[in-house]
Amino acid sequence: MPYSFTVNGKQAASSAPGLTPLISVLRDELGLRGAKLACGEGRCGACTVLVDGRPVASCLYPLANADSAAVRTVEGLAAPGGPLTPVQDALLSSGGVQCGACIPGIVMTLTALLESATELDDASVREELAGNICRCTGYQKIIDATLRASGARSGGGQA
Amino acid sequence: MTVIGMSARRADGEDKVRGTAVYGMDYTEPGALAGKILRSAVPAARIVALDTSKAEAMPGVRAVATAGDAPGRSGMFFALKDQTLFASGEIRYVGEPLAAVAADTEAQAVAALAAVELTLEPLEPVVDPEQALAKGARQIHPDWASYETLVPAPRGGNLAWEARIDRGDVAEAFRQAHLVVQDEFRAQRQHQSSIEPHAVVARYSGGRYVVHTPTQFPFNVRGRIAELLGIRPSDVRVIVPVIGGGFGGKLDVMLEPFACILARKSGRPVRIVNTRREELATCGPRENAIVRLRTAVARDGTILAQEGGIIADNGANSSGETVACANVAGLVLGGTYRIPNARYVSKVAYTNTPPTAAFRGVNGPYCVYAQELHMDHIARELGMDRRELRMRNLIRAGDEMVNGQRLDDAYLAQAMERAEQIRPWREALGAASEADGRLRGAAIVPLTWITNPGPAGATVKLEDDGTATVMCAAAEIGTGAVATGIRQIVAEELGLRFEDVQVSPADTDTGGYDNGAQGSRTTFGMGNAVLDASSKVREQVIQSAADLLEAAPADLTLAGGSVQVVGDPDKSVPLAAVAATALFTRGPIVASGRFAAPPIPFDAGCMAGALFTHFAAATYHAHMAEVEVDPETGKVSVLRYVVVQDVGRAINPQMIEGQIQGGVLQGLGYALFENLRVGEGGEVLDQSLESYRLPGAADAPPIDIAICENPCPYGPLGAKGVAEPSIIPVAAVIACAVADAIGKPVTELPLTPFAVLAAMRG
Repeated sequence: MPYSFTVNGKQAASSAPGLTPLISVLRDELGLRGAKLACGEGRCGACTVLVDGRPVASCLYPLANADSAAVRTVEGLAAPGGPLTPVQDALLSSGGVQCGACIPGIVMTLTALLESATELDDASVREELAGNICRCTGYQKIIDATLRASGARSGGGQA
Repeated sequence: MTVIGMSARRADGEDKVRGTAVYGMDYTEPGALAGKILRSAVPAARIVALDTSKAEAMPGVRAVATAGDAPGRSGMFFALKDQTLFASGEIRYVGEPLAAVAADTEAQAVAALAAVELTLEPLEPVVDPEQALAKGARQIHPDWASYETLVPAPRGGNLAWEARIDRGDVAEAFRQAHLVVQDEFRAQRQHQSSIEPHAVVARYSGGRYVVHTPTQFPFNVRGRIAELLGIRPSDVRVIVPVIGGGFGGKLDVMLEPFACILARKSGRPVRIVNTRREELATCGPRENAIVRLRTAVARDGTILAQEGGIIADNGANSSGETVACANVAGLVLGGTYRIPNARYVSKVAYTNTPPTAAFRGVNGPYCVYAQELHMDHIARELGMDRRELRMRNLIRAGDEMVNGQRLDDAYLAQAMERAEQIRPWREALGAASEADGRLRGAAIVPLTWITNPGPAGATVKLEDDGTATVMCAAAEIGTGAVATGIRQIVAEELGLRFEDVQVSPADTDTGGYDNGAQGSRTTFGMGNAVLDASSKVREQVIQSAADLLEAAPADLTLAGGSVQVVGDPDKSVPLAAVAATALFTRGPIVASGRFAAPPIPFDAGCMAGALFTHFAAATYHAHMAEVEVDPETGKVSVLRYVVVQDVGRAINPQMIEGQIQGGVLQGLGYALFENLRVGEGGEVLDQSLESYRLPGAADAPPIDIAICENPCPYGPLGAKGVAEPSIIPVAAVIACAVADAIGKPVTELPLTPFAVLAAMRG
């Protein structure tokens, strides 16, 4: 029995075994290569996607659990050629991207955070990033970007 | 408006935040086979038999490679050629490649590896570097004397390499000393752990190997593949996709030669991607090391002489940078303070462990850690303030460092003063003493560091729409050096907008030589090459524009995408028109530029076995930290951190800040918990990110940053290297602050809660 779900608002299905990691279906069957298979053990968070609005490590998340769910990936944030979302834009204007391999995951974690939280501060963003490793930036500019995108940091604005 | 000093958004940024950037780990080609490598499970053995016939007959298997396919012997930077691609005759570490398979699917390749039949005769492993150097230790490379080296060096047995600096009369200085202090320090292996694992796709076409690999140093990978396979470098073309982090870990060849052989034998493209376990277990980390220091000091705290002995673990061969960087140890120990008489002996030892390699800062972090705790020990013995002792011995402008190189632009005193303005030392000490029962400490550390002086070549062409395209082999590893820095330099020289400069992807066929994204050199070295090329393009533009404008070339300037007559703003011509006209009058506007670092005088006679002999475009730093130690658990919290960094000239301040913040956190991981442990059997114990912990957002302290501009006369627009050095003083300043907090020295990294508790009780 194939599993069916939506990915970035479009209907999708897979007949892979239920324990197949969701990232394999996204990358190898659906051609969505934004989420990165970087550690494959659920530690680094570069594979983070949203399942019904919640960030999950798609390298461990079983396909079966995504049945009937709404899956969102980095490719679903901004339309191709269209404007970036505020957090994508802020990541660039704040200098929060270096090698960028963690960013497809981080931007999903931050998207979920910004959609759910009302008040954000430095500490709450740090806490939310517990499941995402960035080896390049030291995180500060990613946190600055998040606060800028949430409008919490006065004078930040968007470049 | 100038584009220099502007925090330009990175040119590769949109693709990265949209998830459309194609990294090495994403890249593949139609029909690509899956490659896998069979690696040794034992640290030391003689290979009696290796039979791949059953593996070759397995379903889906298209090619099998073994030692016979890679006859060459090589080593990182071609310094010491003791590495074969596959273990040949003898196994020297857990993880050493024995065979490689390409199959239709990864599962088939893995199954085929299991079918390789291996008969081994075990040998006694030598795991500890100090024991390896002891008399009577089993020789790991019995044929060491036959290996080629780039320069002569003291070697022998398990001593892979020795680099020495010997200057002045050390014995006499020790005789005159008021005080002699000695210490021993130990440091662990640290793994680069880029988010992207090593990944490669190779194909064989037209009698050449075409290799897509996310490498920091395309020309090194090209040369190393060629040497290991016994072919010419020009038989290999290296093309670099987007790189998902490197930190030194992607400087050297890794999976590329295996993919090349399998591609040639199978006639198909071959893709190999490391698992995280393979990354940690087999991709060379920063070396573990022992540093012993002994210093002669006058009554007033003046350093009279220093002896240093460094033992660095090379692992089983020199496929990493540890040998090539051996002399950096002596240079960094003798580069910050005036040490008129010095003897540094940096030994690199073979062990039956995975080879160690370059990690940002190479051997700097542990040498500086040792030197600074040793300085604190001296201050304690003299009853002298720790900052004052440092200020007294600091190299000032015009002083010589240990190799006799004069540092005319030394900026250490200014950096220390700048840190003092941000956080006065007395206030930090006061906060530490008034901590109300809590254990608080503070420390400050100055540092001189190198910019890698390696050469660079680039071509710049003016397009017929008036934009410029740069062709070079500089790899963008994430620092922004290519995505912003060299673009800004070209834009400045040609009067273009930042957005109107493109850089084509790094490719060894189309780009001039580049010495790799290492040692902060891309903006510096490639920046100089593109500046040279751009200035020639500018001359060509002015020649053609002078024809068009009927003006004297000397009266013309480039700005706003056009050529203007100075003093007559109405007379101008757009660059697009200049380019189009030049096409048929003087020829297309295109020029190549190049850079080699100018010679710097130093005392060459005082060194032996040195591949790095001096500090080009030296940079000057001061780091300060305040920490708190939980007396119950031993946990260290960093309350405050200050970085003062001389960058020469700030091309892109935001990117510089990002390098500083990232480097400090990597340094903090090294100081406090990152530790790639090696077991008694020579195997890497930490084979996942569960036990090899990387710093997270909660580990990052607040950092005050002061960027100082102390221009380099031969840097592009005055710029020096920026990206590497922020990691180097971190372990030193954290350890000194922890030692201050607990009132006990800490002589071994990392400072885990257990280690700190043990030091408190010790």
